[in-house]
Amino acid sequence: MRHILRNLGLYAFAAWASLTLNFLIPRLMPGDPASAMFARFAGQLQPEAIEALRQAFGFTDEPLLQQYFTYVGHLFQGDLGLSVAYFPAKVTDVIATGLGWTLLLSGVAVIIAFGLGSLLGVIATWRRGGWLDSVLPPVLIFLGAFPYFWLAMMLLYVLGLTFEAFPIRHAYSDTLAPAFSAEFILDVLQHMVLPATAIVIASLGGWMLNMRSTMVGVLAEDYITMANAKGLSQKRIMFHYAARNALLPNVTGFGMALGFVLSGSLLTEIVFSYPGQGYLLIQAVRNQDYALMQGIFLTITLAVLGANLLVDILYVWLDPRTRAR
Amino acid sequence: MTIAQEQQASWIRNFNPLLASNSSRWPTRAGVYEPLMIFNTLKGELVPWLATKHEWSEDNKKLTLTLRPGVKWSDGQPFTAKDVAFTFGLMKQHKALDISAVWTFLDSVQAKDDATVEFTMTRAFVPGLIYIVHQPIVPEHKWKDVADPVMYKNETPVATGPFTEVKVFQNQVFELGRNPHYWQPGKPAVESIRFPAYPSNDQANLALLTGELDWAGSFVPDIDRVFVAKDKEHNHYWFPLVGNTTVLYVNTTKKPFNDVRVRKALSMAIDRDQIVKVAMYGYTRPSDATALSDTHDRWRNPQAVQAGDWTKLNIEKANAMLDEAGYKKGADGVRVGPDKKPLRFDVNVVTGWTDWVRAAQIITQNLKQVGVDAVLKTYDFSPYFERIQKGEFDASMGWTSEEPSPYFVYRDLMGTETLRPIGEVSARNWHRYGSKEADALLQAFEATNDPEEQKKIAYQMQDLFVKNAPVIPLFPGPSWGEYSTRRFTNFPNKDNPYAKLTPNTPPENLLVLVEVKPK
Repeated sequence: MRHILRNLGLYAFAAWASLTLNFLIPRLMPGDPASAMFARFAGQLQPEAIEALRQAFGFTDEPLLQQYFTYVGHLFQGDLGLSVAYFPAKVTDVIATGLGWTLLLSGVAVIIAFGLGSLLGVIATWRRGGWLDSVLPPVLIFLGAFPYFWLAMMLLYVLGLTFEAFPIRHAYSDTLAPAFSAEFILDVLQHMVLPATAIVIASLGGWMLNMRSTMVGVLAEDYITMANAKGLSQKRIMFHYAARNALLPNVTGFGMALGFVLSGSLLTEIVFSYPGQGYLLIQAVRNQDYALMQGIFLTITLAVLGANLLVDILYVWLDPRTRAR
Repeated sequence: MTIAQEQQASWIRNFNPLLASNSSRWPTRAGVYEPLMIFNTLKGELVPWLATKHEWSEDNKKLTLTLRPGVKWSDGQPFTAKDVAFTFGLMKQHKALDISAVWTFLDSVQAKDDATVEFTMTRAFVPGLIYIVHQPIVPEHKWKDVADPVMYKNETPVATGPFTEVKVFQNQVFELGRNPHYWQPGKPAVESIRFPAYPSNDQANLALLTGELDWAGSFVPDIDRVFVAKDKEHNHYWFPLVGNTTVLYVNTTKKPFNDVRVRKALSMAIDRDQIVKVAMYGYTRPSDATALSDTHDRWRNPQAVQAGDWTKLNIEKANAMLDEAGYKKGADGVRVGPDKKPLRFDVNVVTGWTDWVRAAQIITQNLKQVGVDAVLKTYDFSPYFERIQKGEFDASMGWTSEEPSPYFVYRDLMGTETLRPIGEVSARNWHRYGSKEADALLQAFEATNDPEEQKKIAYQMQDLFVKNAPVIPLFPGPSWGEYSTRRFTNFPNKDNPYAKLTPNTPPENLLVLVEVKPK
């Protein structure tokens, strides 16, 4: 518990630092958002209307410090401002359209990749030199070297278009309305197969190799020999003695990956027209939509911090040393 | 009927027709809220819509519109002149809604009786007609209680258009159903229109190929092989050259572009046939020297086209003109100006606009042949656009104005009204060229309502443009439109050109929306 409390202060500091960076970075980008907005309407708007819109958006030439205080003040009221790209929708409304779907898709994909990758790593090391150990790592590294979106496009083309085994776009069938019914949930799962597979294939190798390398070290430890000598079952040694200790570095990685889930597996989402955050982020950058960018970065930052807190708690459970004084 | 026009990953519910069309969902500005009249680009005429006729006063300072009787809002209330006056009043009150800046030339808008609206202008400005009649009209009885119409998302529209009922609205798809009170009996023939969300051109094109889409307006590379060949019987496209013209803007405030001989010489060194074939898949043709696309075909002046020899490839003459302008070839093959500076400049283009990037590559290669060292520079759209608007560039790919009359094209390319100093944002006239002669012609055009007179002035504008070459025209822009006749028919095409096929330019797409029929 003390370990976690000690870290909370650190988290608060990290949150503040990222909020501030979040405010600064978009404003350091080249280009002026009002003219970018102008650009989006490609000549549809006359200059007088632009000037009026500028005011409606609250683009001001106030000093940065003042803008910063307004920003922080609004933030605490849960007001992230108006989106330029989706004017006149609120940033919170815009993010709400994609957040859930991104969480679902990337969350499921990361959990599967982490679980499967770690398991494969454990088994491969346990039967060192076996076919799993010699064939899988190079194959997975090879696949992992492909960009996500390339794998996504291949899956879309082969499984989606040629064999028509799975739907190729959207999070659920257009003919269904979201509901808590078996039909809808099944439909969502079906739509998730291809995009999730693309992400899992691309990231599986990393998890497996990490697990494998720490497992190799752990297996050489004396307590493993000891457990063997005591005649414990192989399964128990493999999972309770070896894997539990070897898992620690991977758990740290899992925390990071969970956090980045929110940034969306950007390109995968776009390939499959998945209604997530990835596209929103691109739209925000293209339109210099400060408010939306800040909103998205904020959710990402908070997610990374939250996930790290979760990992800290997991650590306490996995590693008894953190419980000691 | 399934349509792809906007590119989004998820939909935001917004049916506010007073905002620019990218803010509200397509077809808010035409298919939901209707304009008073619609300009038909292919026929070159105004089609009466909510208004049946327009009349100018003797001095062209007063415009009277007669409204169509019997039109009802989708809640059953009658549509009257009061609604029109109210809409223009809202735009006067909220500048952000006046997107075509009609209140820069309007003085007042009054409902004379239920069927007559009178527009009084501050000066005779006949070209302003198109902005007035294209304005979507909103119902006074619904909008008078809206606190801030600029921030209003109008989630449940009440309108006069053919599709007013929001049947489904989800993050990845929405569907609009028929207006029960639509004023054209038996129309629209289509039960409902559906919009799945596609985040980019690639996804929309894929849906087009798999036969999910009935109507789209996207750029498809090599369309005959990619799309038509998949299903020759049903898959069709029509790309008439009625878009805006793609031109090379050169900064006329800078050397060497302030010299008309250099502008013409550079233009003569460009191989437009190659650009059209390689960069544009043969979808268009080289532009003539008037810079007019087929939108303005009726206005084209054959003498001006004849005189505009500087858009034809002629390396010899280009070299001779550059020599004459004082730019002699240096030791390394690059020309050196009278000020001893080598003739070297950047050509700006937008990252990812592949057709333009390829065109710009061809241009830089072409210019090397006449000893001009032009370097391709790619920028993301927003820095690109900021540079071009502020006039902070040497040469830049760009487009011309698309309004129905050539008045707007030439006002924006050579009028002083749109001229701004370098560093100040300008909506048009990015190359910073203004001519007093052009101003006189533009003013004469603004004040006349006589088609013969207008044509005469338009001819003179073209002569003037061809003489001075303010920008370097490259090719007229195709207007993209694809359709499938598997489920629906009666789309416009080459043989039945009743309107533009593309869904991308409101309000003309309304003409198509009411004509399309289920098979």
